[in-house]
Amino acid sequence: MTTYSDYAYLIVGLPVLAFVLTIFLGWHLPKGGGFFTVLATFAGFIISAGIFTEIFPGEVLHQSMHWFATLNVGILIDPLALAMLLMVTFVCTLIHTYALGYMDGDPGMARYFAEAGLFTAAMLGLVFSDNILQLFIFWELVGLCSYLLIGFWYRKPSAASAAKKAFLTTRVGDVMFLAAIVILYNSMASLNLNLAPGEYLLQFPVIYKSLALIDPGQLTIIALLFLGGAVGKSGQFPLDVWLPDAMEGPTTVSAMIHAATMVTAGVYLVARMFPLFYAAPYGLLAVVYVGGFTAFYAATMGLTAFDIKRVLAFSTVSQLGYMMMAIGTGAVVGAFAVGVGMFHLIAHSFFKALLFLCAGSVIHGVGTNDMREMGGVGKYMKWTMLTMLAGGLALAGFPLTTGFFSKDEILVVAYEYGSISHQWLPYIFGIVAALMTAFYTFRMWFVAFDGEPRSDYHKHESPWVMLVPLMILAVFALAFGAFSQSGFYDAVGNNFEHYGVDFEELAVVGGHAVAHGEGHGGEAEHGGEEAVEEPFIIKILPIVVGVGGILLALLFYSRWKKLDVRKYVGERDPIRGLLLKRYYQHEILTAWFAETVVYGLSLISNMIDIKIVDGVLNKISEVTLAFAGNLRKVQTGIIENYITALVFGVVVLVILIKIGMEVGL
Amino acid sequence: MISNAISWMIAVPLIGAILVFMTRTRAQARMVALVASLVPLVLSLQMFMEFDKTSKMMQFVESYDWVPSIGVKYTLGVDGIGFPLVLLSTIVSVLVIIYSWGEDKRPNQFFGLLLLNEVGVLGVFTALDFFLFYIFWEIVLIPMFFLIGIWGGPRKDYAAIKFFIYTHVASLVMLLAIFALYFTYTMPDGSRTFDMLTLIQATSNTAIFPTSLLNIIFAGLLFGFLVKMPAVPFHTWLPDAHVEAPTAGSVVLAALLLKMGGYGLFRVILPILPSVDKVFVTVIAVIAVLSIVYGAFLALAQKDLKKLVAYSSVSHMGFVTLGSVAVLGAAAPFLSLQGAMFQQFSHGLITCVLFMSAGTIQHSVGTRIIADLGGLADRMPRFAFLMMAGFLASLGLPGMSGFVAEFMVLTGSYATMPTATMIVIFGGVAVTAGYHLWATQKVLFGPILKKYLNVHDAHSYELLSMSLIIILVLLFGLQPALITDIMGVAAEQLMEPVMTLAQMGVI
Repeated sequence: MTTYSDYAYLIVGLPVLAFVLTIFLGWHLPKGGGFFTVLATFAGFIISAGIFTEIFPGEVLHQSMHWFATLNVGILIDPLALAMLLMVTFVCTLIHTYALGYMDGDPGMARYFAEAGLFTAAMLGLVFSDNILQLFIFWELVGLCSYLLIGFWYRKPSAASAAKKAFLTTRVGDVMFLAAIVILYNSMASLNLNLAPGEYLLQFPVIYKSLALIDPGQLTIIALLFLGGAVGKSGQFPLDVWLPDAMEGPTTVSAMIHAATMVTAGVYLVARMFPLFYAAPYGLLAVVYVGGFTAFYAATMGLTAFDIKRVLAFSTVSQLGYMMMAIGTGAVVGAFAVGVGMFHLIAHSFFKALLFLCAGSVIHGVGTNDMREMGGVGKYMKWTMLTMLAGGLALAGFPLTTGFFSKDEILVVAYEYGSISHQWLPYIFGIVAALMTAFYTFRMWFVAFDGEPRSDYHKHESPWVMLVPLMILAVFALAFGAFSQSGFYDAVGNNFEHYGVDFEELAVVGGHAVAHGEGHGGEAEHGGEEAVEEPFIIKILPIVVGVGGILLALLFYSRWKKLDVRKYVGERDPIRGLLLKRYYQHEILTAWFAETVVYGLSLISNMIDIKIVDGVLNKISEVTLAFAGNLRKVQTGIIENYITALVFGVVVLVILIKIGMEVGL
Repeated sequence: MISNAISWMIAVPLIGAILVFMTRTRAQARMVALVASLVPLVLSLQMFMEFDKTSKMMQFVESYDWVPSIGVKYTLGVDGIGFPLVLLSTIVSVLVIIYSWGEDKRPNQFFGLLLLNEVGVLGVFTALDFFLFYIFWEIVLIPMFFLIGIWGGPRKDYAAIKFFIYTHVASLVMLLAIFALYFTYTMPDGSRTFDMLTLIQATSNTAIFPTSLLNIIFAGLLFGFLVKMPAVPFHTWLPDAHVEAPTAGSVVLAALLLKMGGYGLFRVILPILPSVDKVFVTVIAVIAVLSIVYGAFLALAQKDLKKLVAYSSVSHMGFVTLGSVAVLGAAAPFLSLQGAMFQQFSHGLITCVLFMSAGTIQHSVGTRIIADLGGLADRMPRFAFLMMAGFLASLGLPGMSGFVAEFMVLTGSYATMPTATMIVIFGGVAVTAGYHLWATQKVLFGPILKKYLNVHDAHSYELLSMSLIIILVLLFGLQPALITDIMGVAAEQLMEPVMTLAQMGVI
């Protein structure tokens, strides 16, 4: 009997096929052949759902075959991967459908759908890889597709430049990722493991199994390098510079990058490698601080941005920080943390895709990204306004929305983390960022949809092919959390049980002195709450900051405005300037480091090469060249001369050798 | 398989070259050349099918006495070290002839020289007699000298002479070293031999080759091969030669001629390396790291697209050096060595696209200065797609052959040379991505410059040859086992004596 599991490879295979079909036939088809990509992605969703019914909850789907040398290719679908597969195929299907309307009329539509199909395929391939090298290969492919899509309007210099920036910045992370694989491979190879047939060194189950045997110091290096890769891809500080600029592509691309594909890959990597991070001393500590700080840092920049997509971009960076922070708390709460982080990832993908598509709808209608030129858009775009409200509420963490459930749990584990490890900073970052998130989200919503039109824009609602995906996403942004939370934590938090990962043993390796509460450390019940008693104020704090932020925005920016921003923050306020300049991060990283230091070094190398390396050579060969000058007169470019010379040379050689023989050398 | 297949493979292009020289029109010249280059390709593909991947012996061997009095034999044969390069040579030779389909300056000589070049490289990769090896090694210089000297750019004389003298000096040094080997070793029956495998094996006998003598011989051989690669600091002839060479010349130079140096490392240097002073290991490793990192930085500084590509070759060939020297002391399956061999093959393909791209831009637009180019994708979409694919392959994008090679080298090298490997990863890999992307972006993207509004897409024969290579780069990137399976046994075979020495505690 054939089952869905037999066709797992089609999850990636079909979008690749769509890519090929679109690239060759798309030009001749209506809508650029975009329906290939839509259908392929949707088929991936069906297959993923089918596999879900077949293997869930007790089994893992693992297929593998030899590739070359000591490496393999394979498919591994466990609850962690399944969650991602379902999310990516679901959200991408909606985004692609929306793009049928959004991209209509663009002369590059076929190219768009080809690249979008490949992008989806790469992300899905990344998710279901059974080994870290294959994951890396798809990871790079994701990077390539994002490069192509961000630079989709390549005639625009800013788009081409943003694409390059995205690729190179994430490449810095990729270099670390590559280094991590190289070291991990060698650490594992030196263990001389007895691999069963079908087992290969870089497969995740084999990695999990051998963690306890690897030197902890080595593990820390590997974990930090993996984290470096994730920081680049998921736009964590300090490699977050590319993400806000990645807005140069079509809005649907932003939706894909920010919600379903690309940036979630970094978080997924950390989740996938959680046992390694857990076993590595300082591994999760680094994760929790990078994540916490990024959540806070990016939220501050969201406060002042004027570009509607840029506000959303900063919120993405910030929310990714939350996910990282959640997983980082695993040092205290165990593998349950993976469930918490991943749940926010899934929740975020719904409401962030929704928000971006709404923003796209607004931009599509209004014709500008600048919120200062909008105002009152809600009057003309009712559906867009309402669906965006749903997304905004979820992002702000308004009670009972999906975002509320997912973010609340992160703050719970962060609190628990703080009370056991006495590292309170991540929790504080989380709370403050939550307040700012609610504020800037509704600042955006009010400025765009409320008030009076501030410029003369087109006033029409988007077509249904764009609105229906928005409505579906809005339902998920509002209601998904309430129904799925505990089941999700169980499934994903227990993910590593399938491989027999012994977190207690790894805790010793990783030096986690803190005792785990009941149900933690891979045991995976609903961890967290039982271990640490939370005071009432802590329990309601997430609600207070979420609702409070929304109210503040209402007081400052809505039609019921009571306060004037200008009274508190002047035009020349230094902090506002700093935020608008994004902490001069671009200037430091791109302009100074890349363009001055690296390029300067290359110019110096070039000088050395010309003046010294070649210079010395030229000096040496001056004599020779003088000789060559004479030679040239003899040999005037007639081929026969040279052949004669060669034959002659060979004869001389033979004679010399003969003489040598006679002399008895 | 016909008997003496390798001889036929060498003879057909040689006869073809003579015929092409005698043709009168371009149409005749290129058609004869194409046919003459297709024969070796077919032969090599047939050999590929019949190649015994499990054998440690030389295959398709032909051996005849040539000058018996001095021990010169006509011995040809291939194993996993040589065969992938034979395949590469026959593939590239056909494609470069297709790419040059429109050549109108002295076409008969042009195509003839390309064929002559194929004769030389095929000979180098199959000769098993040092005498024969050296003759082929020298034959290669001649067509390249003329390709640069006749069809070259404004400074062609300087470049041709520099190329010739530099590499010729290196060859002579190598020749002296070969003679030293020849005169030091006597066969059990008292005669002397130029047989490569015999002489190389004999070097491990310290009674015959005392370390002090072997050190000198080794240095000579090493110099000869490193110049050819070329490795920093012996690389300065390369950019000059490339800048002036016609496109086909550059393609052949980078794709095939450089590989002769790498081949020498595997065939000659590695087996001797365990017997010489250990300082050589360090020297080679330093040169390798320097080539990769310094080469990448140099590429970033270039203003001429072709020069950038030339320096990228220096950088990429550094992986060959690193992978081969790092194999000492490594455990099976000798990933770094296999990676180095694979890099030779892979770079040979990828660099073709890069030089063809630079050439096509020069033909279509009239300049290669990166700062003067912009927005070409607008007018040359097909070409832009292929150029982009080539540059991505070159920067090491997974899914293409370059990544496989570099990954194998880095993973393998880390076992024995962790510091060097990390320097390469952090110093080289990111910069490599940088210059590739910077160049493609500036050349292809952005708004089309006004002066290029009338530019047309590349010729069909240019697009055809480039797409064929991209397909191969993808094929070997997704299915590297096609080549690595051939190399695996060779790598083991190569390392066997070394491992024995290691067990004896010599290294």
